[in-house]
Amino acid sequence: MTHFPYFVAVWLFAIGVVGIVRSRDYVQLIACLTVIQSATYVLLLAIGYKVHAGAPIFSDHPVGSPAVDPVVQALVLTDIVVGAAVTALLLSLVIQLRKRRGTIAPDTLQPMSD
Amino acid sequence: MSYLINALLLLLILTSTSVVLTRTPRRQGLAMAANGCVLSALFMTLQAPDVAFSEIVVGTVALPLFFYTALSGLRTGPRSDPEAAPLKDHNPS
Amino acid sequence: MTHRTRTTVLVFLLLLLVPLAVSGLTRLPAFGHYQGPYGDVINTITVHARHVTNMVSAVNYDIRGFDTLGEEFLLMSAVTGVAMLLRGGRGEATSARPTRVLRRRREGRSEAITGIGRLLAPITLLYGIYIIVHAQLTPGGGFQGGVIVFAAALLVYFGEGYASWRKTVRSTMLTLGETLGAAIYLCSGLYPLLSGAAFLQNTLPLGQIGTITSGGSIPIINLGVGCAVAAGFCSIALELLEETRLP
Repeated sequence: MTHFPYFVAVWLFAIGVVGIVRSRDYVQLIACLTVIQSATYVLLLAIGYKVHAGAPIFSDHPVGSPAVDPVVQALVLTDIVVGAAVTALLLSLVIQLRKRRGTIAPDTLQPMSD
Repeated sequence: MSYLINALLLLLILTSTSVVLTRTPRRQGLAMAANGCVLSALFMTLQAPDVAFSEIVVGTVALPLFFYTALSGLRTGPRSDPEAAPLKDHNPS
Repeated sequence: MTHRTRTTVLVFLLLLLVPLAVSGLTRLPAFGHYQGPYGDVINTITVHARHVTNMVSAVNYDIRGFDTLGEEFLLMSAVTGVAMLLRGGRGEATSARPTRVLRRRREGRSEAITGIGRLLAPITLLYGIYIIVHAQLTPGGGFQGGVIVFAAALLVYFGEGYASWRKTVRSTMLTLGETLGAAIYLCSGLYPLLSGAAFLQNTLPLGQIGTITSGGSIPIINLGVGCAVAAGFCSIALELLEETRLP
């Protein structure tokens, strides 16, 4: 199928959003957030792919050989590492929430009043 | 090689759905690690070795580790009253 | 908003937006027929313009180096945020000494895990340093090698235990490593300004294709990024692990 990876990216995004809405505590929500992030990685890398082309590394191939797009790979690779650090920041927010409010279920937490 | 890419994409659908639908936190961390493995295999077949490097270590080791450590920290931390005084220093000096 | 209301809104929105996304994505070129000009241009000219053979590293640290500077500072902000939140919640003392938990039920660590940790940690550390140093030649770079060095530090933790790990990996050294990484990146960006070139322009001698010193400022920036990423991830792990030690 010619557009199958794009549909897989849409599926990953949709199932991640379903997981966020159905989650019963904030830690499960963060796991579903990582699924949503992986949807963007799959979409970006699928856009840059060329059939019968190699990796954009020319240490063993001559320069003219067909290669996939390096720009999207550069975007995705920094994104993965920084995304993990931001996930750790979200987890530490959840730990603080537990200390202040005693619970981490989204259904029982009401917005601050007064 | 399109059979390999399509097979890995189907496997990716399975593993990411399992991350979302798992209810026990202990199993969800392992599902995240499996998702990271499949993602990095997919990135290798899409001719992106640099991205596969990052995804192997981050998705399989770092993210489940942060997940499990946060879960363990949630269980050992004290539950505080919202109107109580702020937490004191716990390090023995 | 109750659970049921959220679920109905979600179903409604998904029925509306998913066909829209699918119809938009089918208008892209078919998978495998990349048409954009920039990838092909970079693949053709960069090997002789910068004397490097890894195009992804050249894009990350030279052609689009400003974005990577922003990403590294994003990483530092996230690590600072984790440290502020978790240390602030525990009290104002720094985590320079590990918290000792007394009277805790401890299961002994099996000798197989200690053996594997001691065997694999130095090999993984060496592999991570190799990946950082060979950034412009083979697949690799500062980000990948930095997280591999972090995995080596974790193997030390799994094999030896928390107290020994804290003696090896000190939080002051981690802070030093992070700031050193950011400082190296900034200095290699400010250095071209001295000779009249633009910020982050590659003005160092480019060297010979295929050697470790090729690429001008790319290997220097990679060392900085590798330091910063490894130290940042170790800091995050240290703060999260310290959080599990409250009495």
